[in-house]
Amino acid sequence: MQTKRTTFRSWWLPYLLVAPQLAITLVFFIWPAGQAVYQSFLREDPFGLSTTWVGLRNYIRLFDSAEYLASFETTVIFTVCTATLSMGLSLLLAVAVDRMIRTASVYTTLVVWPYAVAPAIAGILWWFMFNPSFGILTYVLEMVGYDWNHRLNGEDAMTLVVLASAWKQISYNFLFFVAGLQSIPMSLREAAAIDGAGPVKRFFTVVFPLLSPTTFFLLVVNINYTMFDTFSTIDASTAGGPGQATTILVYKVYEDGVKGLNLGSSAAQSVILMSIVIALTFIQFRFIERRVQY
Amino acid sequence: MAGIKLSAVKKIYPGAAEPAVKGVDLDIQDGEFVVLVGPSGCGKSTLLRMIAGLETVSDGEIAIGDKVVNQMEPAERDIAMVFQNYALYPHMSVRQNMSYGLKNRKMPKAEIARRIDEAAAVLEITPYLDRKPRALSGGQRQRVAMGRAIVRDPAAFLFDEPLSNLDAKLRLHMRGEIKQLHQRLKTTSVYVTHDQLEAMTLADRLVVLNHGRIEQVGRPLDLYRRPASTFVAGFLGAPAMNLIEAEVSGGALMLAGTALARGLQAEAGRVTAGIRPEALRLRPAPGGNFRLDYVEELGGSRIVHGHIGAQRIIAQTDLAQELSAEMHAELPLEELHLFHATEGHRLSMGVSQPAAADPQLVGA
Repeated sequence: MQTKRTTFRSWWLPYLLVAPQLAITLVFFIWPAGQAVYQSFLREDPFGLSTTWVGLRNYIRLFDSAEYLASFETTVIFTVCTATLSMGLSLLLAVAVDRMIRTASVYTTLVVWPYAVAPAIAGILWWFMFNPSFGILTYVLEMVGYDWNHRLNGEDAMTLVVLASAWKQISYNFLFFVAGLQSIPMSLREAAAIDGAGPVKRFFTVVFPLLSPTTFFLLVVNINYTMFDTFSTIDASTAGGPGQATTILVYKVYEDGVKGLNLGSSAAQSVILMSIVIALTFIQFRFIERRVQY
Repeated sequence: MAGIKLSAVKKIYPGAAEPAVKGVDLDIQDGEFVVLVGPSGCGKSTLLRMIAGLETVSDGEIAIGDKVVNQMEPAERDIAMVFQNYALYPHMSVRQNMSYGLKNRKMPKAEIARRIDEAAAVLEITPYLDRKPRALSGGQRQRVAMGRAIVRDPAAFLFDEPLSNLDAKLRLHMRGEIKQLHQRLKTTSVYVTHDQLEAMTLADRLVVLNHGRIEQVGRPLDLYRRPASTFVAGFLGAPAMNLIEAEVSGGALMLAGTALARGLQAEAGRVTAGIRPEALRLRPAPGGNFRLDYVEELGGSRIVHGHIGAQRIIAQTDLAQELSAEMHAELPLEELHLFHATEGHRLSMGVSQPAAADPQLVGA
C-alpha cells in the first residue's frame, strides 16, 4: 500500500495543525483521568476543607464492600442480557432484510431510526410504556395476569433497562450485520443449497461462521456500550433502583460521587472502569483482526 | 446418472424488456457432455441455473431423468455444480468442504471417507485435504470444487464457466483434466462457457446460444463445418471466419470484380460469404485480387492480413507459402459457406459438402 507523505516547509506547522485535537484530548480526557487517578488515593470531605492521603485504601474498601460487588454482578447480568438481546434481534432483522428485494431500503431506514433517539428520551419512552400506574404495556401485562411494577420489583426494573438499552442499540448492530451478510458471496449459499442444506442449516453452518468477524466486533462494541453509554437510559427510567437492582458500575460512580459526595471512592471506581475500557479496547484491536477469521 | 430434457423453457425477469431465455428445447442424453456457449447475455448461465434450481423456470418444463424438476429444491435434483468463483466454504478445510454435501444427506462416515479419498486421489489433492481453501492456489481450488461435485456421484454435473478465473496455461491443463474425468466417470455434464475453444474441445455436443435462443446444436465439428448462421460461423473458430459481403452471379462468387469461386448452383444476388482463414488458397500473382497488409507469425503457421476490394480478409497459411504484396486468392467450392445477406441463415449451394468424421484411432 502506498502511504501519502506530505512535507511541511516549517517544523512548527504540523504541530499547530494537530494542536486543537491534542488540546481537546488533554483538557477533556488526560487531565480529568489524571485527576481521577490522583483523587482515588485521597480522602476528602465534601467541602474540600481537609484532604488525607490514604494510598490504596479506597480500592481495598471497594473490594470489601458487598454493595460494590453486587453492582459488579448487576453489571455482568445487565451487559450479557442487553448484548445478547440486541445482537440477537438485530441479526434476525438483518437476515430478514437480506432476503427482501424490493422494500429493503424502506425497512432499513425504519430499523435505523431508534439510533437517532437520545438515550435519556429512550429511557423515558420505555418508562412511560411500563409505568405501573398508566403504562400501556403494564396494562397489557396485567390482562395476561402479570403484575408489573419496576418500582418495587428488581427483576422488572432490570428487564425494563435491558429492553430500553437493547432497543437503542439494535439499529447500530443491524447496520453492521446487514453489511456483513451482503459481503458473503451469493454463490456460497447457492453451493450450500445444492449440497442439501436447508435454510436453517445453511445459516448456522455457512452464513453465521462467515459472519463471525462482524459478530465479534459488535460484541466488543456492545459490551462497551452497555457498560458506559447506558447511564442516561438508566437514570431516566429506574435511577438505579429499586434498591440497588439496576445500579451498574457506571451508575454507582455517579451515585457515590455526585449524590453521596464520597469523592475518593467514586474516583477509585472510575479508575477501575477506565481500566476495563482499556482492556476491552486492547482486546478489540489486538485480536479482532487476527483470531476471528476464516 | 440420467439425461436432462428441456421443453420450451423460458425465463422472464420481472421488469426486463425481453425474456432472458426465449423458449429452449434441448434433449441431453445420459452420459453426454453438452456445452452451452455464447456471448455474455445470451442466457447460457440463466439456463444452467434453471437446471440447477437456482432460478425459477418462468415457463416450460425441465426434467432430469424421468422426473420433472420445475418445483424441486436444488438439493432434491441430484445435481452437483462447479461455480466460476469455486464457492468453496472458506471456514472449512478441503475435507470438510467435500464432505459437507454428503453429511447433509446423512451418508455413513466410512462411506464419506472412502469417497473423499478416492476423489482426492483422482484429482491429486490428497496432500491438501486438511488445508483451508485460502491456502490453496487457483488451480487447486478448482480441483477441490470439482472434488466436491465428484464425491456426490450425482445424476449430472453442471459447470458454470469453471475455468475463466484461471490463467491461460492452467486453463488449458484443467480443460484436459475435465475431458479425461468425463471419459472416466461418464456422468451427464452441462458446461457453460463463453470461450469457443473450450466449447469446441470439450463438447460431445455443442449448443450455441444467442439472445436467449438456440442458434444451432450439434457435434463441434459439424458446427464448425456447417454453421447454420453467420452468428455461429463467426463465433466458432480462431482466427474467426471471414464474413464478407459478396455477390453470386453466373454461378460464381464475385468479390470486387473478380471471381473467388466458381461452379455455384445458388440464386444470383447479394450474399454473405463465409471463408475459413485456413481454406483460402493464395499464390503470388502481380495484379492479383488479394492485397497483403501485414503478417502475424504464430510459429507453426502464419496469419496473413490483407484485403480484397475494400473488405478486410485474413488467411492462415503454412510456413512454406510464398507471399508477395499482390496475390491471387481462390477458394475450393466445398470450403465456401453462403449466408443470406440480411437474415444471416445458411444458403444451399447445391454442392455436397463432406460431413465431419470422428477422429479415427489408427492401429488400435
